[in-house]
Amino acid sequence: MVHDLELISVGKTYPDGTVAVSDFDLKVEKGEFVAFLGPSGCGKSTTLRMIAGFEDITNGEVMMMGRNVTHVPPEKRPTSMIFQNYALFPHMSVRENVAFGLDVKGMPKAERDTKVDRILDMFDLEQFADRKADKLSGGQRQRIALARGLVVEPEILLLDEPLGALDANLRRIIQNELKLLQRELGITFIFVTHAQSEALGLSDRVVVMSNGVVEQISPPRELYRRPKTPFVADFIGSNTVFEGSPKGAAGNGFGRIETLFGLIEGVGQGNETLAVVPAEAFRITPLDTPGEVRIEGTLSERQLVGAVGHLKVRLSDSREVAIEVSADRPDVRALTLGAPVTLGIDPAAITLIHA
Amino acid sequence: MESRVLRPVLAIYSSIFLLFLYGPMIVLAILSFQSVDGGPQFPIREWSTYWYQHLLGLTETSRVSQLPVGDSLIRSIVLAFMTTVVSTVLGVMSAEAFRIKFKGSGPAFYLIILGMMVPGVLVGLGMALLSNTIGIGRAWWGTSFVLHVVYTYPFAFLVMLAIFNRFDRTVEEAALSLGVSPAQTFRRVTFPIIFPGVLSAMLFSFTLSYDEFSRTLFTAGRDLTLPLSIYGTFSVEIYPNIFAFGVLTTLFSFTLLVVYGLLMKRFTSKAARFKGQEDG
Repeated sequence: MVHDLELISVGKTYPDGTVAVSDFDLKVEKGEFVAFLGPSGCGKSTTLRMIAGFEDITNGEVMMMGRNVTHVPPEKRPTSMIFQNYALFPHMSVRENVAFGLDVKGMPKAERDTKVDRILDMFDLEQFADRKADKLSGGQRQRIALARGLVVEPEILLLDEPLGALDANLRRIIQNELKLLQRELGITFIFVTHAQSEALGLSDRVVVMSNGVVEQISPPRELYRRPKTPFVADFIGSNTVFEGSPKGAAGNGFGRIETLFGLIEGVGQGNETLAVVPAEAFRITPLDTPGEVRIEGTLSERQLVGAVGHLKVRLSDSREVAIEVSADRPDVRALTLGAPVTLGIDPAAITLIHA
Repeated sequence: MESRVLRPVLAIYSSIFLLFLYGPMIVLAILSFQSVDGGPQFPIREWSTYWYQHLLGLTETSRVSQLPVGDSLIRSIVLAFMTTVVSTVLGVMSAEAFRIKFKGSGPAFYLIILGMMVPGVLVGLGMALLSNTIGIGRAWWGTSFVLHVVYTYPFAFLVMLAIFNRFDRTVEEAALSLGVSPAQTFRRVTFPIIFPGVLSAMLFSFTLSYDEFSRTLFTAGRDLTLPLSIYGTFSVEIYPNIFAFGVLTTLFSFTLLVVYGLLMKRFTSKAARFKGQEDG
C-alpha cells in the first residue's frame, strides 16, 4: 500500500542541540484530512515545514507517493503550502497571483487561462481578478491563496494555520469551505492549528503534539473520548483526572484503580495510574446501574439559567467539578449549597491512562 | 501652553539650521552670476551669465583660461556608472547571503563595512603604494575604480540589508511551494519587491563615486576625474567660472534625484494601480 505521505521517525535538531521535533511517525492515505494540533512551540509548524521542504530534516525520512523526498527541494515536491499571512505576491493582481505557478511552468496561455478562470470561479473571485491582492479583505485574500495553491494541482495541500488571521465569523465560513473543498477535490490536506475546534471539526485524524513529540494520533471523536496521555486529557475537552494506584483488570476491557475517592473502574488494563473523566460524564444523582463509579462531594455553587442548571461540586481534595443538569429536576431544585452530593459516572465513559 | 513657546522657537531654530546647511550653496549660486570684471566675492558688480558662457567656451578669449573639465566630467560619469553597477550587484548579492546566518557572518559583515569606515586618504595612499610595489599602473578606470567599489559597496549593502530585513520570506516560500525554481522566484518575486531598495542603492553608489576625492587623489594616475581637476584649478586662482560649474553639477545631481523620485513613484503607483494580465 503506497501512502500519499509517510513520515518515518522524522526529527529535527537545531545545530545548538535544541530538539524541535523527534520521532514523528505518520501514514496519510490519499484524500485524508489530517490536522496537527498543539500549543504554540510544540513543533507542529516545524513538521509541516519539513514536509514542505522549507526546513532541513535531521532524522528520519519523508516519503510522498512512495518516493523518498527527504532531501528534495520544496519546488520539486508535490506539495503546495498555504500560509497564515496569505503570502500573496504584492506586485501582482489577483489573476496574476493565481496564474503565477502555471505561468512559470510555461503552460500555454489558452490552457492556463481556462484553468485560472475555473478556479477563480470556484472561489468566487472573478470580480476581483484584476485588482491588487492587498486591497482585499482577509477572507478574500485567503481564498486567493487557496486558489493559487490549488491551481497547480498539488497532491498534498499543506495549510499552516490558514484561519489564524481571520475573525471568528470568517473563520467559520472559510472552515466550512475548506471541508467541502477537500471532499470535492479528494486532495490530501495537512492542516496545522492550535485551535481545538478547527482540528476536531475539520479533520479525519488529529495528531496532537507537545514539546516536539507526538502525543496521540486519533480520529477526532476517539481523541475526545479516549485520550491516551495526560497531556491530551488536559488539552482536549474538559476532563477531570483522578490519580490512583493500579488494581488490575476487571474484565471486558475494563480495569480498576484505587483513588482517594475509592475504587474507579474505567476502560483500560488496570495497570494505569490515572482515570480521566470527561465533564459531561458526571451525573448528579446515581443511576444505580451496576458497576457505576460514585464520588462524594458537596455542592459549592448553583446557578439556574433558564432550563439549564450550572452546578459545581467540591470534592474532598477541594477540586471542583462543573456539571450541567436540567433545571427542572426537582432533586436539583431541592439541593442547597453545602449539601452532600453523590456523583455517578458510567465506567464506559472513563478512560484509564498511564501517567 | 508649552507648545506656544516651544513651537516657534523650534521653527526658528530649524530655519536657521537649514539656512546654514544650504548657505554655501546659495552663496555659490549668487556669485556665479558675477560680471566679467568681478572677482569670486561680493559685491556683485553687475548681474550676468558671462561665466556660464565662459565655461561652455562661448566667449572670446579672455585672460582667464577655460575650466579644463570636459574630459574629466566624462571620466567621472563613466566611473560612477561602473561603480554603481558593480556595487549594486555586489550589495544585493551579499545582502541576500546575509539573510541566513552563516559561519563567519559576523566578521564578514564588519569587513564589508570597513570599506566605508577607513579614512579615504589612507586607503588611497595604501593602494598607490601597493600598485607601485606590484607594478600595476594607476588609472581612474583601474585602481580608482576598485577603491570606489570598496567605498560605495558597503552603502549599497546596508541599504539592501535594511530592505531584506523587512522582507516577508513566506512570499518566496509560497513561490517555491508552487514549483517555481529559486532562480525564477528571485527574478519574478523577490526582485520586483526589493526594486525600490535597488534604486536607492544605485543612487547612493553613483553620487558617492561621482564626487569622491581622497581615494581618487592618489590612485587616478595621469587622467583626472572631475573633483580632482576642479581642485587643480584652485591652486592657480579662483574665478567665478568654478561657481558656475558648481551650480551646473548641483543641477545634475538634482536631476538624478528627480529621476530617482519619478522612478520610485512610477514603480510604487504601478504596483498599486489597476492592471490587467500580462503575458508571461
